[in-house]
Amino acid sequence: MSNLSDIGNLMLLYINEIKPNEGTNTPKFLITATAKTLSSLGGRNWVPLIVKEIGEDRYEVIGNSFIYAVAEEAGLEKVWCIIADSSEETAKLTKVLSREETPKINLSTATRDEIKDALQYLIEKPNSVLKSVKLLVATNRIDEAPRQYWQNFEPITKLKCGITKGKKINALKEVFYLIPQPMPDVIKDPTILNTLPTAELKKMAKKRSKVGYSKKKKNDLVELLSQ
Amino acid sequence: MYETLVKALRSLPSDAKEAIVNHSFIAPVFLKALGFKPEECFPQYPTGKGADAVDYALRHNTDDDIFLHTKSHPYILLELKGRDKDLSEGSASYTSTVKQLKGYLLAPNCKTVQWGIITNSDYIQLFKKHGKVIYPASLCLKITPDNVGAIVEDIKQKIENISRALTVAIYNNKGGVGKTTTTVNLAAVLTLHGRKTLIVDFDPNQQDLTNSLGIKPAKESLYSCLEDKNNRVNLNDLINPYIFKFKNLNKEFKFDIITADDKLFEEREDKLYQIFKLHRFRQVLNNFKNKYDYILIDSCPNWRFFSQSAIYACDVVLIPAKHNNIFSLKNAAVAIRKFIPEIQRIRKDGSPIALPIFFNGEKITEAQRITAHYGIDSIIEQARKDRDNKFDLLPYFYPRFTNATKDRYIFDLPSYAHIANTAFERIPAAYKYKIAYDYYINLAKEYFLQ
Repeated sequence: MSNLSDIGNLMLLYINEIKPNEGTNTPKFLITATAKTLSSLGGRNWVPLIVKEIGEDRYEVIGNSFIYAVAEEAGLEKVWCIIADSSEETAKLTKVLSREETPKINLSTATRDEIKDALQYLIEKPNSVLKSVKLLVATNRIDEAPRQYWQNFEPITKLKCGITKGKKINALKEVFYLIPQPMPDVIKDPTILNTLPTAELKKMAKKRSKVGYSKKKKNDLVELLSQ
Repeated sequence: MYETLVKALRSLPSDAKEAIVNHSFIAPVFLKALGFKPEECFPQYPTGKGADAVDYALRHNTDDDIFLHTKSHPYILLELKGRDKDLSEGSASYTSTVKQLKGYLLAPNCKTVQWGIITNSDYIQLFKKHGKVIYPASLCLKITPDNVGAIVEDIKQKIENISRALTVAIYNNKGGVGKTTTTVNLAAVLTLHGRKTLIVDFDPNQQDLTNSLGIKPAKESLYSCLEDKNNRVNLNDLINPYIFKFKNLNKEFKFDIITADDKLFEEREDKLYQIFKLHRFRQVLNNFKNKYDYILIDSCPNWRFFSQSAIYACDVVLIPAKHNNIFSLKNAAVAIRKFIPEIQRIRKDGSPIALPIFFNGEKITEAQRITAHYGIDSIIEQARKDRDNKFDLLPYFYPRFTNATKDRYIFDLPSYAHIANTAFERIPAAYKYKIAYDYYINLAKEYFLQ
């Protein structure tokens, strides 16, 4: 990076040169009370605003929007800012680091411990719609399901772990995303086979030229196909 | 045979930095002395967790699999420090290095690793990894030119002899915390996950486990086995299989049980100490170490012959506790800071160690949790201030606690009415009820399965 670049620098910028972007949804009380505290304790925002440069003398907030709202409320003319680069990644990372956005984990590959911590976070949130979900039951059933192939979260509703369609399943999207693997052509994993309807299994058995499948029950079909 | 090792050690400056220790001791002679050729040692091995890299990963080559090329299935990790870092046990850099090694051992690329070594050429310690569990396999030893050969020989012997099983004693010197239920259901879920498991009912006063599964005594008694030093007793006759058939799946699951016999129970305590050494039970169990993945010992709630033998025989101690029973917490603390170190002093290999405690089988309200934390905080504080036996209990009660997070997380196994009731049905709850299975597999994954 050239010496002329301001990226990484702490600078004192005019607040009217900074675009607040999406702003903050912090309650009014916290903003006014913090502004009062700021004014009475020296008036310098030691925790800086994170901005990117969008033009000559023009900046946009990418993190710590709360500080912007407080500075505005306190009537500061200038605020201390850290200049970040303008990439998408930096904007995203800064939002997560300043806790304005919840980080997400890939449920297709997450470990059991990660799933447990994420679910616990969701369940223990105030007014959580998942309050009635049993943490250990949900953790294990999701962990042991063939989630690497899930295209969406819908299969979770069939795990009987108290996470039903609608509000509850949507709540999971706050912390999880999926990058599914393609289904293999020949499925031999009994846990996946068990999730498929019997008719589907019979079709598979036919395709793989298995003998005597037509009268078999689901469990036997699963066993036949997993060989 | 170890002359080069001694020579290299003598020529090292006393303040050698990590690069020098590596260049003149580890890379040219130490790894070779452990039996690893250059293409079997991968320096700066990426562990798969972020950008972390461990100083060395080692594995023996097979015919068409050169470790340096394939990088797959590492077997040993070595974390190296310079002599400028003090690695004597208890020092700050020792604690942080052990923590660093544990992080590497549990990283995604290191699932196949079985051993971990930390050294700065002044001190060395070997750790064993089994699933998620990491425990010391030697003391943190001071290396001198006189003993370096013996130390390397000892490590080499340990890493070449693969012992398959992890031996776990389920223990709390307070009764009624659910030791037997935990043992049986843990065995049940480990078996479902394909791990071969042996249970030892080592509580002859109660024999709860044997009764709860409706097991009849085996052909041979544990007593005669402990007494027999001439291999007259056929060890297989000691074992009782417990077989459970899932009718709808048409599948069978089986774990093995060694039951305590009446003769052990009838013998007077002082007499037992006269006939059997404390290490005798461990010797007997060693015969089973390569036949199982897990050996679980259900031990009795006191600190006498049976529980002492059980703790002596195990690698790690799993301590169930009740959040609403302060005595179960206090007793857990006593076990961790007094009893287990007592056994460590006789065993001289750094083990056994306690796993973090867990709350067993109760519903915990938020207020009760706060009360329990309050009680635990004061137990920890007391142990920290104890002038005669200063001890840091924090990692055993709050394993996730750091100065930055102050996380008071303790694993808790919620209550489930059917778990207690199944004792009458002679079936582990985890086999009969899906929710019980979910609970206990979480326990297994929290502590053991990786």
